[in-house]
Amino acid sequence: METGWYPVALAEGLERGTSTGTRLFGRELVVWRDSADTSHVWEDRCPHRGMRLSFGFVRDNHIACLYHGWQYDTSAQCRYIPAHPDLAVPNTIRVATYPSIERLGIVWAYDDLDSDAPQDIGFAERAPVTPVRSLYIDASAAKVFDALVLAECPSLKDAGGATQRSRTDALASLKSGGDEILVAVQPLSDVESALHIVIAGSPDVHSGDSQKRVSAWGEALRREIEGAAGYAGELRHGVAP
Amino acid sequence: MQGATVIVFSGKFRVESFVAFVNHRAQRLQLDAMVELATPERIEVAVSGQPALVDAFEMACSLGPIDCLVRDVERKNASV
Repeated sequence: METGWYPVALAEGLERGTSTGTRLFGRELVVWRDSADTSHVWEDRCPHRGMRLSFGFVRDNHIACLYHGWQYDTSAQCRYIPAHPDLAVPNTIRVATYPSIERLGIVWAYDDLDSDAPQDIGFAERAPVTPVRSLYIDASAAKVFDALVLAECPSLKDAGGATQRSRTDALASLKSGGDEILVAVQPLSDVESALHIVIAGSPDVHSGDSQKRVSAWGEALRREIEGAAGYAGELRHGVAP
Repeated sequence: MQGATVIVFSGKFRVESFVAFVNHRAQRLQLDAMVELATPERIEVAVSGQPALVDAFEMACSLGPIDCLVRDVERKNASV
């Protein structure tokens, strides 16, 4: 495991007032979005009894635990305990948090709890992007990258020439002419990964057909990685329209 | 510890484990806690702070860490 920035969700899939649970290197995280549209990534554990906060409820600018309703504000500080409404909640009752940021239409977390993350996430913002989907694969992030460095960029609106590939620790770019897709790889555990896939370019251009093609491309990639050799040709030769 | 409540836990304890648990919970609940007696059968903790949080502390410690078993909990006033 290497400390750094890792994707944890597609930003568009995380609606205001909702929470979801995910994992990073086997650790459980809650990802939630408050009423001001800010996303948060915390340890998925209420300090009270350890219940997953991802099972809780988001109301305005706080998330409440499903179990006893303890409420945490956007700084992860407990502000209200329903069983003791008059209690001055001590500032020692707070949830452990991961530094997080939204880039490329993806929520990223720095996998070091309660730390000061480096400002340099390793790549620049690229607006606009068109979100495609998240995919879950029974393979390590290393195996996913092994496949990505051989994969072809699917033909979208402006394909041209051989696929150019580049990558950082958690992000791969596949580019052909004016087409480019970005694949962020989330190590869920040693043997499981999630892909968060976006198209570089405006939804005005890529909504619809391009999203479907890239989605199918992602499924073919998953089949190849998971060992269904019969579908491997789709990656090499492009996905049929 | 003046004005404190002494909570007496009886059961089977790994002393080191239970004392660490007590200190962690007291810190989280912003309570002053002092372990006054610690044996494999009995742990006495003097604790002071907001009454609701002392109650929460007692409840948390009654569950205890996985390698300890609390059979009984009682309170007594601290000696001054």
